[in-house]
Amino acid sequence: MRLLRLCAAATAWVLGGAALFLTAQPARAIPPFARQTGLACEACHTLPPELTPFGRRFKLNGYTLTTRPPLVNDVDDNKQNTLWLTDLPGIAVLAQFNYSHYNRAPPDTGQPYPAHAQSDTYQFPDQFSLAYAGAVSDHVGAWMQLTYNGQSGSVGVDNIDIRYTDHTLDNQWVWGITANNYLTFQDVWNGIGSYTIPNFNTVSLYNNGVAGAGTTGPILNALGPGVVGGIGAYVFFNDSLYFEVSEYHSAVAGGGSPVVDSVSLAANGGALDRFAPYARIAYERDWGYNSAEIGASALYANWIPSNGYISAQQQAAAALAGNSYTPAQTFNPGAIERYTDLSVDWQYQYNGQHNIFGFMGHVTHERQQNSPQLVAATFTGSTPSGSAIYTNPTDTLTQFLVTGEYFHNRHYGGLVSFTRTTGTYDPLENGGNGSPANQYETFELDYVPWLNVRFLLQYDVYQVVANNQSPFNLSNANFPNSPGFTNIRAGNNNTWVFGLWMDY
Amino acid sequence: MNTLKTQSLGVALLALACTVAGGARSADITVPPDPSQLPARELVSYACAKCHGYKGNGVSVSPIFPILAGQNAVYIEGQLKLLRQRGRADPHARAFMWGISRGLSDEQIGDLATYFESLPAVTGKPSTNPALAAKGKDIYENGVPEPNKVVKCAQCHGDVGAGTNNVPRLAGQHKGYIALQLHYYHTGLRENKLMNRNVKNITDDQIDAVTEYISTLTP
Repeated sequence: MRLLRLCAAATAWVLGGAALFLTAQPARAIPPFARQTGLACEACHTLPPELTPFGRRFKLNGYTLTTRPPLVNDVDDNKQNTLWLTDLPGIAVLAQFNYSHYNRAPPDTGQPYPAHAQSDTYQFPDQFSLAYAGAVSDHVGAWMQLTYNGQSGSVGVDNIDIRYTDHTLDNQWVWGITANNYLTFQDVWNGIGSYTIPNFNTVSLYNNGVAGAGTTGPILNALGPGVVGGIGAYVFFNDSLYFEVSEYHSAVAGGGSPVVDSVSLAANGGALDRFAPYARIAYERDWGYNSAEIGASALYANWIPSNGYISAQQQAAAALAGNSYTPAQTFNPGAIERYTDLSVDWQYQYNGQHNIFGFMGHVTHERQQNSPQLVAATFTGSTPSGSAIYTNPTDTLTQFLVTGEYFHNRHYGGLVSFTRTTGTYDPLENGGNGSPANQYETFELDYVPWLNVRFLLQYDVYQVVANNQSPFNLSNANFPNSPGFTNIRAGNNNTWVFGLWMDY
Repeated sequence: MNTLKTQSLGVALLALACTVAGGARSADITVPPDPSQLPARELVSYACAKCHGYKGNGVSVSPIFPILAGQNAVYIEGQLKLLRQRGRADPHARAFMWGISRGLSDEQIGDLATYFESLPAVTGKPSTNPALAAKGKDIYENGVPEPNKVVKCAQCHGDVGAGTNNVPRLAGQHKGYIALQLHYYHTGLRENKLMNRNVKNITDDQIDAVTEYISTLTP
């Protein structure tokens, strides 16, 4: 019973009802682009993965700029290319390693305290990827990545972005179509989405995910590889105004409508129902060494939680209420949560001869309309404080992230980042006492001996984790075999990371 | 129903893209993408414009990249050939131009040089620091005497910085770009026997002054 309660609470917390946060992590700079264009990394990046204005235009033009002559070429009667192959495909090897030290090792869940888990881990590798990146034909380019994840021990398809692009002779209009499997992977700025800075994540024993994972976040961050596939069209006008509309579908089979059984839904929490429209607008102005962007985006997504996902939350809520979970309390399959995410993002970049400054971030506000099945009085229990457990008809969540960075001569530098998430209390959706509140900072020092090798020392500092409550805080009831494990604080999640990223 | 909605959205997206493309003048770049086959103007649009002025006007935004509009064709041609054979080895030449120029033919280089020279040059702007510009004017026109001699710029680049043939035009160039090149010449990172000798003794303050003055010049 106790073990069940622990597992249920932990699962619910990690899955985070009001929001989802997956661990997909984009790759960074990629040498095949350099080989294809003949340009050094600094043409496209201040420091990878942050793009310079040139790098953004290279991506918006579909990764097609090349200075390599084709080894094999064929054309039709109109002299249009029908085949274009270089002497060497754009293959990259990317590797990421880290050594992490956690402020406090959690107790062993199966053994009496002071038995505990490791507080130091050496992830060698943390991630290892093979990728194709570059032009496929004159108007088509692709990024296709296969990644081994050291935490899961599995190899899987990672980020994919295939583009068809064209532009006018005066470059007044650049337009393209992108097919990708990661919402925001197609974006070219770094204040929001998959390429948000900071980009080197760490893993905490407590949250068993990337830094900040297990903490809540908008669904905008969660629609990644293995979860969705999408297609979009964009225009980039007058070298400054970007507009995109995209739509995403579930990548996994399952309930396509509320009345279809969703037993077969994949892990990670469920699947999109029908399509999720996404719109993005951004304005960039460049002057001198400076580049500034302000943007906004909107996402609407209907989400079908999987049975297991719902059950975990049920278990958590029931456990908190002192009730045991029973199958009879399973929700009907096909419950739908409707998310509307509205975001504003910004990025300022000074890319000088010797000094680089950056200031970027976003505010995302999420409105979540919960399924009536979840709102109904499925649970009649109450929390220890006596409040009833059920889902609100509507939940909201707001995430604020801001990052400042400085690098000198592309060799030395660092960054400071602050993230704060707040939202409505909802015990069923969020577990514990129902608050999705989180707050943490990331401090990072970097040494870049070569542009494709980066050493970093990072310290992640947590002030608030799930409102500093269950499962890792305030109560040692979550560690039933460890009554001596007391005084649990959010700061127990603080993590030192020594990281190495390299690619070739 | 679901499928129909999906298809409808897909068609709408495609229509949007096509509308945009159709409404604008197509580049019609068959882009070999063997760059050695591209005519000069298309090559500018395809590659050069990404750094040296996105409309193909030769006016770069970032001072990391030189303004090419109105630059002397002989100088551009000489530099492109030098870069193609990796005979110029300053950091930015390596990072950007070694690769970009590697596939250019002599004919393309000649056409590019002619194209950029034909573009309207950028005019100078009044200095916001007249005292510094006056100091720079003195260095530009008279140099710095021994023992820390700096040769006067006007001797080769002309009184108004127009240059000639293989002597580059300085007027209208980014102040930051000229300053970096002077730094490269001073340290030897960019090799040119004449310029290495001319600015061997130049100081950072003198570079600030002379580039401030050059930024005011209009031939």
